[in-house]
Amino acid sequence: MDSDLAKSLRSVTISPLEGEEEEEEVHIEEVEEDEEEDEEDSVQLGFVEKPKNPRLLLSHLFPNKAGGLPAWLDPVNLPPDNSRLCGFCGDPLQFLLQIYASIDGKESTFHRTLYVFMCPSMACLLRDQHEQWRHKEGSPSRSVKVFRCQLARSNPYYSSEPPKLDGTDRPLCTGVPLCCWCGTWKGGKLCGSCKKTRYCSEKHQAMHWKSGHKSECYKLIASDSTIVNNGNGVQDLTVFKNGLNNATWPEYEIVIEEESGFEWEKSEGNSSSTGTSAIVTKYNKTDEALQSVMDQFEADADKKSWASFEERISRAPEQVLRYCRDATAKPLWPLCSGRPSKTEIPPCRYCKGPLCYEFQIMPQLLYYFGVKNDSNSLDWGTIAVFTCLASCESSISYKEEFAWVQIYPATSIRPGRLTM
Amino acid sequence: MAERGGFGRGFGGRGDGEGGRGGRGRGGGRGDRRGGRRGNKSEEEKWVPVTKLGRLVKSGNITSLEQIYLHSLPVKEHQIVDALTKDLKDEVMKITPVQKQTRAGQRTRFKAFVVVGDGNGHVGLGVKCAKEVATAIRGAIILAKLSVIPVRRGYWGNKIGLPHTVPCKVTGKCGSVTVRMVPAPRGAGIVAARVPKKVLQFAGIEDVFTSSRGSTKILGNFVKATFDCLMKTYGFLTPDFWMETRFSNSPYQQYTDLLSKQATKAILPPTEEIPPVEV
Repeated sequence: MDSDLAKSLRSVTISPLEGEEEEEEVHIEEVEEDEEEDEEDSVQLGFVEKPKNPRLLLSHLFPNKAGGLPAWLDPVNLPPDNSRLCGFCGDPLQFLLQIYASIDGKESTFHRTLYVFMCPSMACLLRDQHEQWRHKEGSPSRSVKVFRCQLARSNPYYSSEPPKLDGTDRPLCTGVPLCCWCGTWKGGKLCGSCKKTRYCSEKHQAMHWKSGHKSECYKLIASDSTIVNNGNGVQDLTVFKNGLNNATWPEYEIVIEEESGFEWEKSEGNSSSTGTSAIVTKYNKTDEALQSVMDQFEADADKKSWASFEERISRAPEQVLRYCRDATAKPLWPLCSGRPSKTEIPPCRYCKGPLCYEFQIMPQLLYYFGVKNDSNSLDWGTIAVFTCLASCESSISYKEEFAWVQIYPATSIRPGRLTM
Repeated sequence: MAERGGFGRGFGGRGDGEGGRGGRGRGGGRGDRRGGRRGNKSEEEKWVPVTKLGRLVKSGNITSLEQIYLHSLPVKEHQIVDALTKDLKDEVMKITPVQKQTRAGQRTRFKAFVVVGDGNGHVGLGVKCAKEVATAIRGAIILAKLSVIPVRRGYWGNKIGLPHTVPCKVTGKCGSVTVRMVPAPRGAGIVAARVPKKVLQFAGIEDVFTSSRGSTKILGNFVKATFDCLMKTYGFLTPDFWMETRFSNSPYQQYTDLLSKQATKAILPPTEEIPPVEV
């Protein structure tokens, strides 16, 4: 018994009261989310610019563009009927942007373009929010769709040499005729009377009829000319460029820059630079009272993520797209709520492999598109696109990928009192 | 052999973005913003709004902060407040270092506390923690601008000159602290403790008597109670507000095309025959 006691006595040591001392000197925080300690990935930013020459945005020059008409990579096998409609209102989707993002190393992904389409109605986007959370039941109906198309270097549509960009480039074949109203989708249906104008859906036929085709239809029956809009847009498509119909958003070219090329702004605060040394207190003094003020006014999680979001985009406030295909890359979320976890991202629907984040679309694009600001106009926080990690091949030319939309939480808009 | 994919300028792959863009000089123009005095004007012009409210402000549809307060719209971008107020001054009240214990020693960050105000009825408070002092101050200024509230001022007696004090006795409460603000005659000055006095100065109140109760040692509650008190100045129903209110549409609904087109069409045209469609 004595030996046991001796042993236990030996194991007892006197430790200095370190914990208390430190608390007196310095305020030790609870562990916080280390948002600022993340290493920054090398992100490529996209900016919109008015195209110098609209002909540079045709598909045989492999453009990156936003708004206007899509430059289909594969001009023949366009997306089928059911995937080109909004899942809620049934209207054909409108072209948002496309980027040319090939992957090195694989032959089948020498040419690879991602297309994003969206329904311009905010009501559909709000319903889409529910759908993107419940992806597990088969293929849900969405109002935001992303298509991926890839081709090998030698393919029947384009030459194997890089385009010379001197005006002499031509695609190797003409594509399928497109809808006369939107210029986006395949024009599979013909107008019953003149049998010359093509449409992708009845809704577009109705809109074209009301806004001018009614008077021109009989003229077309008589004449021999054909209105041909082909998949690669070699013909002149001026009817869409002047934007008289609301089927397309204004056209821009997307220009790529590296984010690291932008310096941090040096703030020119009024008194901050001179006064800081005086105000910074020494290590062994904390104002307990002021500490409580800080705790009261410190922002909550949503505001904090918003603040770091703003800080990151303030380096280049005009960015509309952030691209980073690293395995560890994470999108820059404006809000804390509404982020997908690993389980909420579905597997690739063709090869069942995992998806990885590729790029995200920023809300500045809405400003450049001139989207109106009423209650039913589009507004999003960010759209993050997740694509198949292996960029799988399949017989379908335009494969659907997964888009996650984070929108700002709806505010209750009540009529206010008019005070003097 | 790993072949570099793609023709032309595409995303992905390192370095091909730079080479292609050099000609347009865009990178040079953008990156070249170090140091160099920039007027506030150019910063505002460079601002690309991210929220719907921001787009409305940038396009000039909203002209004053009061329209935003009227409909209780959340302000997410500090440039909105910048664009709608002039002479917004900021002051750093305090910067404390806070430390976190890690295996490799202590990690120090700085917490900055900033009060922002234009001295004319708008005041805001912001707190931010960051690794560098400058970053913390910048972040705190932004947060302060986002929390700007309107303050109503009135007279103590004769309505000569501009309002200088609180319009009536108001009281605000937070935790156990209640702060009561009482109108004071001109020349009385702000009779309050050090930190709330600063806040009241930024709000533009020249004279006020305050009285507080509760554990004012807890400065957080004390300052929040003063803030609450200032918010209530506009909530107090005085005889000027007895007139019936006319409710107005929120800015989101004010600028729709629908409202402008309402007057033109009353009768719908008969539905027209659209020729059938064949595949």
